Amino acid sequence: MITRPATYWTVLFISLQERLVYRGEFAMSTLMRFLPIITQIFLWQAIFSAIEVERGSETIAGYTFHGMIAYYLLTTISRAFSSMPGLASGIARDIRDGTVKKFLIQPIDMVSFLLVRRLAHKLVYYMVALGPFALVFFLFRGFFEGWPEPHVFAGFVLSLLLAFLLGFFLEATLGMIGFWFLEVTSLMFVYMLLNFFFSGHMFPIDLLPGIWGDLVRLLPLQYLAYFPAAVFLGRVSGPALAAGLATQFAWVVFFAVAARVAFHFGVRRYSGFGG
Amino acid sequence: MAVIETDQLAKSYRVYRKKEGLGASLAGLFRREYREVEAVRGIDLRVEEGEFVAFLGPNGAGKTTTLKLLSGVITPTAGTARVLGHVPWRRENAYRRRFALVMGQKNQLWWDLPAAESFRLHQEIYCIERDRFGQTCHELCEMLGVEHLLGQPVRELSLGERMRMELIAALLHSPEVLFLDEPTIGLDVVAQHTIQQFLREYQRLRRVTILLTSHYMRDVAALCRRVVIIAAGRIIYDGPLDGITGHFSGQKIVSLQLADGEMPTGLERLGEVLESRPPKVRICVPRGEVTRVLTHIFAHCAVQDVSVEDPPLDAVIAEVFSRS
Amino acid sequence: MDNRGLSQFSQHGDPRPNQPPGDAAKTGLSPSAPPAPLRPSYTRVAYTFLRNSLVRDMTFRANFLIDTISSMVWVLMNLGFYVLIFEYTPMIGAGTGWGKYQFFLFLGTTLIINSLTRGLFLANAIELSEHIRNGTLDFILLKPIDTQFLVSLGRIEWSALGPLGFGLVLMLHSFGQLGYAPGPVTVVLYVFYLACGCAIYYSLMIAMSSTAIWFGRNRSLLDFWFYITNFSRYPMEIYRGPWGDPLRWTFTFLVPVLVAVNIPARMLVRPLDVRTAADWTLPVFTIVATLAGLAVSRWVFQRALLSYRSASS
Repeated sequence: MITRPATYWTVLFISLQERLVYRGEFAMSTLMRFLPIITQIFLWQAIFSAIEVERGSETIAGYTFHGMIAYYLLTTISRAFSSMPGLASGIARDIRDGTVKKFLIQPIDMVSFLLVRRLAHKLVYYMVALGPFALVFFLFRGFFEGWPEPHVFAGFVLSLLLAFLLGFFLEATLGMIGFWFLEVTSLMFVYMLLNFFFSGHMFPIDLLPGIWGDLVRLLPLQYLAYFPAAVFLGRVSGPALAAGLATQFAWVVFFAVAARVAFHFGVRRYSGFGG
Repeated sequence: MAVIETDQLAKSYRVYRKKEGLGASLAGLFRREYREVEAVRGIDLRVEEGEFVAFLGPNGAGKTTTLKLLSGVITPTAGTARVLGHVPWRRENAYRRRFALVMGQKNQLWWDLPAAESFRLHQEIYCIERDRFGQTCHELCEMLGVEHLLGQPVRELSLGERMRMELIAALLHSPEVLFLDEPTIGLDVVAQHTIQQFLREYQRLRRVTILLTSHYMRDVAALCRRVVIIAAGRIIYDGPLDGITGHFSGQKIVSLQLADGEMPTGLERLGEVLESRPPKVRICVPRGEVTRVLTHIFAHCAVQDVSVEDPPLDAVIAEVFSRS
Repeated sequence: MDNRGLSQFSQHGDPRPNQPPGDAAKTGLSPSAPPAPLRPSYTRVAYTFLRNSLVRDMTFRANFLIDTISSMVWVLMNLGFYVLIFEYTPMIGAGTGWGKYQFFLFLGTTLIINSLTRGLFLANAIELSEHIRNGTLDFILLKPIDTQFLVSLGRIEWSALGPLGFGLVLMLHSFGQLGYAPGPVTVVLYVFYLACGCAIYYSLMIAMSSTAIWFGRNRSLLDFWFYITNFSRYPMEIYRGPWGDPLRWTFTFLVPVLVAVNIPARMLVRPLDVRTAADWTLPVFTIVATLAGLAVSRWVFQRALLSYRSASS
């Protein structure tokens, strides 16, 4: 690519400013994101109290009550990195209304451009969200068993960064489907549902019994929410951790390539139709 | 009794002042500055039954705000108004059944449904008897020539066709007072003409009282005898259309057809020379000077033909707007 | 005056262009005001809304189908989560009585109330903030009919009916599994409290969307709605302890979303028993909360309308 780094700085800066305009909504939506967790805490408290009384057990699939809540809190961090609201639908819209053409004319690579923009969005989000996140984790510190060992924490951070990249390239690839099908909204909704349930956002995927669990573990979705949280909690360690990170990285590479390939063929098809 | 009567009607808004730049956007997270905008500052208006009045004024002069106040959509900050004996912003059903508002830039018809479905909804809301509804609808459609489009989804209609449907929707309940806010905006000349014709004819048949705002002088000249000019929230002229030129323009335009192609000298001392392509010459002269100028010209050149006219309405209005 | 128009209209066949006013009294274009009845029929207007919405939904059949399917998938996945939970626990909350099929009765009630309020009001509440932003609320304010009524029912989402049907089926299945059928009194009470629950949700929704008049845009209404109703998705017994009690009180007495689903669901699971104070206080309170909710939301709506400034075109 011939684009100078300075161009990307400008993109970054303008995007930062653009995002800050939507003030109140920002802070509000960040805080509200934790509201469902409160319900989850009470739900699981009720469930754990019931199994203790009825079955005399204190764990579900290896999770204690505290471990379960810590897991949910950690998945909010994973999601803060991996969720890409509006990315795929935005790409599909750009393709539909022809905005995508500007990337064919201007000397800037669309995938990189979107990545930098998304980075800006995320940076602004973290700036605003850091406060609420710190507050929530401080309030709920009782659910954690202290900080993990340095190398585990390093693995956690690495898996978060990879989760960001995976989330980005996966959604970008989905958005490229817009080159072939004009209406992708329904497809996006299905993806959102699958993501919600099988990334580990709704419940730890180890809860899934038998074949279901095996199937879900084959999908890349678990690396968007479940995997970083599991690393932090020490449920994945040693060789499994290394293998997990390697698999996550492999998925990132796969979708990074897939997004570009899809773009390449999509554009060819697009210009073939005369745009 | 006057149909519309207002006394010192005023409306002001609080507006958020947005600043540019990243720093200001950040600061805007915590503090916002506001300023007061006085959209309408004390309007006294009296409209009699059956009048067709045009509201003129530059953008932001308060025309639309006045119409919204009179239709009760917004509440004034000061002053009173009565339309058909009702205070509009009390929004009594008895009042709302007696007038209509048409806005050229907003539409009320269901976008995805045929206009006929929206009309039927109006029939229910305004309790229009079935026979009466059928008849009114038929007559209005025929007058506007859109009967064949009734079954087509509104989103598939052209702007002009949609505007005609909007008009029908507003007139189904036979309002006694009609507020039209730029009903012809964005339409081509033919479509504008259709709507003008319709409005004139409708008003002639029904003798409704109509208040119209428009940017197009063509609308105004074709429809209204009385004109109200608003600028910066105040009425600066209220009177017959012909009076505008007299009221605002102290100028007359003298057009000459000279007998020979020779250009007389010293014309620029008499007034502003608008055109000098002998044998045609046009000069803009102060009203009081016309006699003196003509005497001077007749004394110095051979004139074949002469006419003295008011400046064109568009030009006068533009001048008034630029002054306010 | 220019008279070109007349000839054209005559060509178009205007039936009585030159009729004297007296004879024209029976036609739509008569100059005299029509003697209209004073009150529009609200049921007929509502019926027209239902009909128009259905016509619209049927024009976009593919969208309608997709909406129905995706809301069903969502419901099924949620059900899957609860089935999963009941693989590990016999009950939600020790000693609360919310076993698997009791909870499915609760879930069915949630689905019914949610789809009714979503189908009837949510799209309208969202549209209200759009109307405020675009200034098209003007037209609604002009109509000689109650503004809140018009705003609340303008469009109806028929696709929300899917989950409603599913909720009913789930409840029938659960009754079958539990091996008992509710008596007529229970059914009447259930339907009554179902209506109360819908009214409480509706009040909250309309009050929230009215605030768009003050705050300009209100895009997160849907999110906010999701988060608030999130609290009422589970039996209220789960909120206990030093944090849970205040939370339960807040969402029972301050923002009464908890009673909206809980009270009707309890009618089925534990038929009303008036022997102890605890058994009848909440049902009675629910009636009070419903009335208060409707009154407060109407007051908020009216207050908000006073500040409506009508976005300029």
